[in-house]
Amino acid sequence: MADEVVRLDKVRRDYLVGDQITTALGGVDLVIERGEFVAIVGPSGSGKSTMMNLIGCLDRPSSGSVLIAGDSTNDLSDNKLTELRSRAIGFVFQQFQLLPNTTAIENVMAPLLYQGIGTKAAKKSATQMLTQLGLGDRLNFDRNRLSGGQQQRVAIARALVTSPDIVLADEPTGALDSKTGAAVIELLKELHREGRTIVLITHDLEIAASAPRRVFLRDGLVERDERGVS
Amino acid sequence: MRILGTAALALNRIWATKIRSLLTMLGVVIGVAAIVALTSIVDGASQGINKSLATLGTNQLNITAMAADSLTEQDANALADLDNVSVMFVQAQNQGTIATRESRVNARLVGVSSQYFEAVKPEIALGSYLSSSSFAATSKDVVFGADAANDLGITKEMLGTSVKLNGQDFRLVGVLDDQAGFGTSGRVYVTIDSARKLFSQYPYVSSIVIQANTPEQVDTLQIQADVLLRERYGLGSETTARYTITNQASLIAAVGTITATLGLLLTGIAAISLLVGGIGIMNIMLVSVRERTREIGVRRAIGAKQSNILTQFLIEAIVLSLAGGVVGLILGEIAAFFLAVLGDWVFSIRLDTVLLVLGFSLLVGVVFGVWPARQAAKLEPIDALRFE
Ligand SMILES: Nc1ncnc2c1ncn2[C@@H]1O[C@H](COP(=O)(O)OP(=O)(O)OP(=O)(O)O)[C@@H](O)[C@H]1O
Ligand SMILES: [Mg+2]
Repeated sequence: MADEVVRLDKVRRDYLVGDQITTALGGVDLVIERGEFVAIVGPSGSGKSTMMNLIGCLDRPSSGSVLIAGDSTNDLSDNKLTELRSRAIGFVFQQFQLLPNTTAIENVMAPLLYQGIGTKAAKKSATQMLTQLGLGDRLNFDRNRLSGGQQQRVAIARALVTSPDIVLADEPTGALDSKTGAAVIELLKELHREGRTIVLITHDLEIAASAPRRVFLRDGLVERDERGVS
Repeated sequence: MRILGTAALALNRIWATKIRSLLTMLGVVIGVAAIVALTSIVDGASQGINKSLATLGTNQLNITAMAADSLTEQDANALADLDNVSVMFVQAQNQGTIATRESRVNARLVGVSSQYFEAVKPEIALGSYLSSSSFAATSKDVVFGADAANDLGITKEMLGTSVKLNGQDFRLVGVLDDQAGFGTSGRVYVTIDSARKLFSQYPYVSSIVIQANTPEQVDTLQIQADVLLRERYGLGSETTARYTITNQASLIAAVGTITATLGLLLTGIAAISLLVGGIGIMNIMLVSVRERTREIGVRRAIGAKQSNILTQFLIEAIVLSLAGGVVGLILGEIAAFFLAVLGDWVFSIRLDTVLLVLGFSLLVGVVFGVWPARQAAKLEPIDALRFE
């Protein structure tokens, strides 16, 4: 039996702004299995980030259900949802989103500390992770002293350090030049080869084309779901 | 996250924004410093008043003449004959001048009858009280109060030498350590007979003091004294302006009430200033929550629970308030120390003030930190992350 990490069942997400209802996702079915590398592609406003928020347990569907590693998120309390997120999800954001007044290592330690892991153990894991990503000599740099590419690698280290079931990357190259961006994508692919499950949101079709699986969104619906080299 | 880790985050933030943190604390600093300094002033003042009242004894009645010819030595003798009176003395006082060869100042000249020193027992700094021989009709001895001695620069060597009271020669026999002064000019003590020669007309006296055998008898004695004097002057039972009778015990009680009221007033002012300080902290914390919305979103995304966010912001507010309290306490105590030196009272750091002030600062931090912290904790992660 295949190991499902994500299952979306007829997921709808409506936003109410004033008395106007916007449908960001209009009933999406999607299954992602462990070890997959999925690119989610679509024009602006097609619902990519909404989908990522739902998979990432930052948000709940208006109807339908989201299952992460077999657990439904629908009826979870905020606390339980946070625990699930902390255990199963690692986020990489377009704007890196390193914490202010915080060094690289403190950023990477933070998810572990929130899990209740002791400072010493957290420091050890964080050092290991950063060293593995080539930032062993930048441990005590804060975000003002790191280049964009370095910041994004710190963010990736922060996403990986808890060994999550899925790494969610929303436009991780959006704020980087093409060369640095390519290096980040290469890093994500390497992590995929090591067995991690990666969900990459992008509207760069070239990047998407290099992914083993591509899910095309349009107007809140899955338009195409392709596998194999295109 | 463990509480220490969360506290570290809060401290880290406070340290990263030092100037702003200091300014945020300022309200509490000033409030607390004011409370501490004001409390010590009230303390010091009541210390002084009580000390000078206590030297007069608690079972005494002070009958003060309202005009120069209101009371006489005969009245005093009649009062001395009442039941339960252990001691009686009279005083006749007037403004005058005292002088050494070098200098001359104004002073209050007080003529006292022989039982004065025995009843009041003022502390002696140099020499002695007026002795029984001083009370001989021809002797002209004088004892200086501490303030008068200070004003004239009296030294030990000058004991036994001559000083001038209203131009007349007197022999200085002693200096008291009475410290009664609250803006009054210094007092010097001579016998009532000397006073008659200096300024006072026989048989009139300025005041009569009678002392009951026990403090319990004071109230009854007060009524008896009043009845007696009314009889002697044929006064009705309505109040007269001829004399007033004050009871030391009730005076001390009155001072106690005034001090307590003053204390209450200060507590009120303190509460208001701390309130203002607290609102300042709340204001900055609310701004801070807004500014850090994205950070809060990121923290939620990487696994912070609502409780983690709540604690982080609450600790930040509490630390700001408590640190403000500590700084205010230190500044306040320093101010109190200098006030004590200036006002010549005993400086002491009162544990109850310290605990009260720190307790209040803590409370202010909690009360005014909770709301911003809840705002922070209640943010929806997706909204926080989208926030620009
Ligand atoms: N919090 C929100 N409140 C109201 N409407 C929202 C909210 N978030 C998203 N939407 C709407 O939902 C739709 C999908 O938005 P979403 O952010 O998922 O798009 P996207 O595919 O990520 O676009 P982009 O490529 O520009 O990031 C849009 O029409 C957007 O306006
Ligand atoms: Mg998006």
